[in-house]
Amino acid sequence: MSGLLPLLRQRMRRDWKQLLMWTVGTALLAYVSYTGVSQSYGTLQDRQELLVTVMANPVILLFRGLPSGAEQGAMMVFLIFPFLALDAALMSTFLAVRHTRMDEEQGRAELVSATPAGRTTPVVATAIHGLIANFALAALTTLAFIGTGAGVEGAKVAGFAVGCVGVAFLGIGLVAGQLMRTSRGANSLATWIVVTAFLLSGIGNALGTPSDDLQRMESSWLTWLSPFGWGENVRAYSDDNLWPAVLALVFGLVLAGLAIALQSARDLGESFIPERLGRTEAGPLLSTPTGLVWRLTWGAILGWVIGGLLVGMLSTSLASVVDQVSGDNPAIVAILEKIGGTDGSLEQATVSVFFLMLGIFAACVAVQVVSRARQEEAHGTAEPVLSAAVGRVRWLIDYLIIAFAGMTLVSVAGILGASLGLASADGDWGLMETIVVTAFGQLIAASVFLVLTALVFVLAPRATIAAGWTLIAVGSIFGLFGPLFGFPDWVAGLSPLEAAPKVTTDGVELNGLWWLIAIVVLVGAGAISLMRRRELAPAG
Amino acid sequence: MSTVIHTQGLVKRYGKVRALDGLDLDVEAGQIHGFLGPNGAGKTTTIRILLGLARATSGEATVLGAEPWRDTVTLHRRIASVPGDVSLWPNLSGGEAIDLLARLRGVPRRDAAFRAEKERLMHEFQLDPRKKGRAYSKGNRQKVALIAALAVPAELYIFDEPTSGLDPLMEVVFRGEIARIRAAGSTVLLSSHILSEVELLCDRVSIIRAGRIVESGTLAELRHLTRTEVSFDATTSPVGISGAHDVTLSEGRARFTIDSDAVNGILPVLAQRDVQGLRIEPPSLEELFLRHYGDDLTALEDAKVKS
Repeated sequence: MSGLLPLLRQRMRRDWKQLLMWTVGTALLAYVSYTGVSQSYGTLQDRQELLVTVMANPVILLFRGLPSGAEQGAMMVFLIFPFLALDAALMSTFLAVRHTRMDEEQGRAELVSATPAGRTTPVVATAIHGLIANFALAALTTLAFIGTGAGVEGAKVAGFAVGCVGVAFLGIGLVAGQLMRTSRGANSLATWIVVTAFLLSGIGNALGTPSDDLQRMESSWLTWLSPFGWGENVRAYSDDNLWPAVLALVFGLVLAGLAIALQSARDLGESFIPERLGRTEAGPLLSTPTGLVWRLTWGAILGWVIGGLLVGMLSTSLASVVDQVSGDNPAIVAILEKIGGTDGSLEQATVSVFFLMLGIFAACVAVQVVSRARQEEAHGTAEPVLSAAVGRVRWLIDYLIIAFAGMTLVSVAGILGASLGLASADGDWGLMETIVVTAFGQLIAASVFLVLTALVFVLAPRATIAAGWTLIAVGSIFGLFGPLFGFPDWVAGLSPLEAAPKVTTDGVELNGLWWLIAIVVLVGAGAISLMRRRELAPAG
Repeated sequence: MSTVIHTQGLVKRYGKVRALDGLDLDVEAGQIHGFLGPNGAGKTTTIRILLGLARATSGEATVLGAEPWRDTVTLHRRIASVPGDVSLWPNLSGGEAIDLLARLRGVPRRDAAFRAEKERLMHEFQLDPRKKGRAYSKGNRQKVALIAALAVPAELYIFDEPTSGLDPLMEVVFRGEIARIRAAGSTVLLSSHILSEVELLCDRVSIIRAGRIVESGTLAELRHLTRTEVSFDATTSPVGISGAHDVTLSEGRARFTIDSDAVNGILPVLAQRDVQGLRIEPPSLEELFLRHYGDDLTALEDAKVKS
């Protein structure tokens, strides 16, 4: 196969920075799990108690691994393995699509196929490239686990299992690239498979059979449908059972072989699933600029709304668990009360902590929608809209309206999720006041991010996207971790998320609310009136 | 005749760069006005100002009697435009994009006249409206923008390099549409860097270079600018051809230029001499600029090198 090595080198050169972030990030995550376990649950007894509680709560099992005993290593793997495997899976599917379908879509593959490199060499090179990336990820994860001092053998097994799950999804990504016509289509197919497989394995674990001492769970058959489930059933640091990982490896290699076969069975640029055609005529939604903004952003908003629903569900279903676990652990109680900023009950504090996440999600909606306005401008699709009978100011206001609507949806989803959590766990309906007040308080707090990003968009368009996400990062760190790191109260209070109204034992605390509303109104009005003087600022 | 577009001393600065440097442009009602200049001369900037998408640093501009930066929305109901570099929404089909843009200009949702016109144009331009924006080639994106602009009647049409990416057959269709607009009495401002296109379509031409209008008039008035190059095999320099300029002889070929309206006059002379390998080439815009503004260009290049 001539040309294999140059193609492989080109892939490495193009990707090395990105892959460095994926692999080192995953290894760091593995290492951090050690700090988590050793600090929160230092003794064997702590961990045994935690496992007993966890077994009773399907929501936790949904987002954690497979309990295999209370030893420190096994506990680490239980807490973090699914997320390490998720990293490996997403790294692999994006890598596969990037070097196959995306190259084809953008015409680069045509240049390569015209050389003696031949038809299947790019796919083979991508598969090898993906194997190397997963090997690196597995090796670094192993080193991270060894670094925690939990044992070398288990570390090797855990790293191997993570890498094998990555290879399984590499195969899925390669086949998705063959099936779909566009890289966007292939990426979304692959990502949906990743998410479904992740949930399948989680649900399968939650539905599994616990051992008599409540320290270990046998997965139900659902888990065995998912490569994540295979990786978890290796039970590193406990059973060190390698064959499920080998199953994932073989599965990935077989799919890679299938992708190579499919590649040689089709024309360049064609796909096995034809792209869906669009509508001949526009529906009623596309009659106003507001409708257009909704059409362009609803997908992203939907994602955050689902996130809000999950956060809401976790907040109340965990509140009851926290009450049981931490009732006799004063350190956890203190931390929760600090972040939640309430001197109310522990359950109230838990809800407040989770609803900070809701505020962050709403702020993400704000930044994403305003960034969309900037992308429209840079991509050139704002120009035809502004050349029709749509004024500049109206155009910006449409984005603000849709952003605020999306943020409200996130808050409402959070409240809905929290109610569902209460209903399922037979919780205390007295929490509803805290839930509603905190949700809408966070909505106002998130609106500060909306108007600030909008102001940046008007004054310095090119900085919009970076500025918006930076604001969120800083605001979240102050809000979530400020109290933990012992920042002075006034510093933490600088984050709108922290200044939002809360429920305390004395009733609802509204001090911050008026400030927040004043900032939102003033900055919002400023951005809108400055938009009158703002020119179109295309890319470049 | 009333003036549709009028600018006086229009200046647009981007930082230190003067994109427009005192631009005076007049377009009368009912004209098909060619706006001709090399890339980077300021055509797109001028159009952005006329559409109220950019604001002039100084100078004045009126379009259909209104000030484009202030009265943007009311003005846009009367104008149809096609941008120079057409981008479409990747997840909207071509048909959806056309409908959206028409509705944003005020066409009601179930307007029968618009539908009929859109159908006709999609047929003429052979556009498949069901493809998504990301699947269209450059030419097809151009067609979507052209159909969206042409399907709704307007008083003024502004086209920025409208035929870029279109194949020759579609260029013919576009010319037909311009004829239709002309018959309806509308005004067109058509920017281009292709001289022959402007010659085919326009009644009047304004030539822009480095942010200024350097020449403006009817095609007949500008005819002196368009000299045709004639060359044929020869061993001696040809003499006695009336109207021939810049006669040279090199590499076995004689070359000279002649005013484009005088080409017919020399054909009998050439036939009589039985010349071989005859080539008659209309001048490219670049040659035109070199001939008429070559000194300026050289000076400009020098200035750039120094700075």
